[in-house]
Amino acid sequence: MAPFLFHLGKYFILMWRAFSRPEKLSIYRRRLLDEMVSLGLDSLGIIMVISVFMGAVITIQTAANIDSAFIPTYTIGFTTRQSTILEFSPTIMALILAGKIGSNIASEIGLMRVTEQIDALEIMGVNSSAYLILPKIVAAVLISPFLVIISMFVSIGGGYLIALFTDIVSVSNYEYGIQLDFRLYHVVYALSKSAVFAFIFTSVPSYHGYYAAGGALEVGKASTRGVVQSSIIILVVNYFITQIFLI
Amino acid sequence: MIEVKGLSKTFGDKQVLKDISANFEAGVTSLIIGASGSGKSTLARCLVGLIEPDQGEVLYDGRDFVHMTTKERKTVRKEIGFLFQGSALFDYFTVRENVRFPLDILTDMTSKEKEMRVDSVLERVELTDAHALYPSELSGGMKKRVGIARAISPSPRYLFCDEPNSGLDPQTSIVIDALIQEITKENEMTTLVITHDMNSVIEIGEYIMFIHYGEKWWEGTNKEIMQTDNKEILDFVNASGMMTRKRV
Repeated sequence: MAPFLFHLGKYFILMWRAFSRPEKLSIYRRRLLDEMVSLGLDSLGIIMVISVFMGAVITIQTAANIDSAFIPTYTIGFTTRQSTILEFSPTIMALILAGKIGSNIASEIGLMRVTEQIDALEIMGVNSSAYLILPKIVAAVLISPFLVIISMFVSIGGGYLIALFTDIVSVSNYEYGIQLDFRLYHVVYALSKSAVFAFIFTSVPSYHGYYAAGGALEVGKASTRGVVQSSIIILVVNYFITQIFLI
Repeated sequence: MIEVKGLSKTFGDKQVLKDISANFEAGVTSLIIGASGSGKSTLARCLVGLIEPDQGEVLYDGRDFVHMTTKERKTVRKEIGFLFQGSALFDYFTVRENVRFPLDILTDMTSKEKEMRVDSVLERVELTDAHALYPSELSGGMKKRVGIARAISPSPRYLFCDEPNSGLDPQTSIVIDALIQEITKENEMTTLVITHDMNSVIEIGEYIMFIHYGEKWWEGTNKEIMQTDNKEILDFVNASGMMTRKRV
């Protein structure tokens, strides 16, 4: 328990420092834009590929599991939309990004630590935690909801392709299903939790990278710890958010 | 001038610095020498605040750095240039951006003034042609020179060089040593070089402090060190296989 509390305290102190007032806003603005490109736009490809197949698979599996003649086939479209909006796009994308972005952040910051680049920043009087971590967190929190919206459209589009090219469900029924009982609240809920997840998958690997010590081996371990812990935290937080906001 | 008074530091149960006191004068290249693990890098890190000493004072021209607030320290840190052992250049910046970075952060210069300063500093370290390269494209010696350029670009009053010759061939080491000494004289800086390179001691050691197991064991000039009969220094000098290179 004591090591857990030690790391938790250290994490919050780091976050406190990271969110303290920046030295020069112009520098941070430039870094924020760079991070938005590197964390967001560079992830677009993988998000789209995963989403289209995810939507297609949800559609096929839903169809495969509907045995009863009393359940209308537009349920397939409805289920695909609901699964995508409520869970797959915000949560699975967050887990994917935790792997891709999280490992990248932890190894980048960890390498800067072991090559004394962070010390160089500190000696210049720069708040290294704010300079390195804050732009990453803000960029991810801002851009993640947009990635999730894209993922939602592409995933539902993936299901549409199944409807178009197979006879599992007709296009008209699929279209009817994805429009049925649409609630904007669910989208707001999904986007909000995607922002929370973005905070987690940037801040936790940042913490592990920032306190990496030693050499390449330790940076690798820090990267792994960052990804594993942020993935677990995302799943736990997802449970609580779902329990609180959806029931 | 940097004055160190009674500096001590302990890690766990191991005391790595024991009551170190010394004066490092402006315009003089001072060397802190000692074997690996003797505590010289820890001393440098204590002096710039990367490690907090347990006891003692560090005075930058009379300003007590150890007991300053974070905000006050920032003012002093803006006057410090530091050349790291591995150069610590920012990988995602070009040479020009690396040298410009402290100016962006620490000064209120206009963009044109910054560019002029970067040009002048790069010219000083003879790297004008390499300004668009990334650190991964540079040789070890070039990295050191970029590190020096970055350290001196905001015109610091105090320059720290941690093992500036590590990993360099003897000829490049001489070039780097000479550059450090020239810059120190030109800008009347207080320069501290942490090294275990005896050739540097002979070349540029105007003031030398020898640290042995965390204690200040000896101090003097490069001429005096050659005449000392101190056993530990003699062991250190003999083990270094010194004076094997000639000035180029």
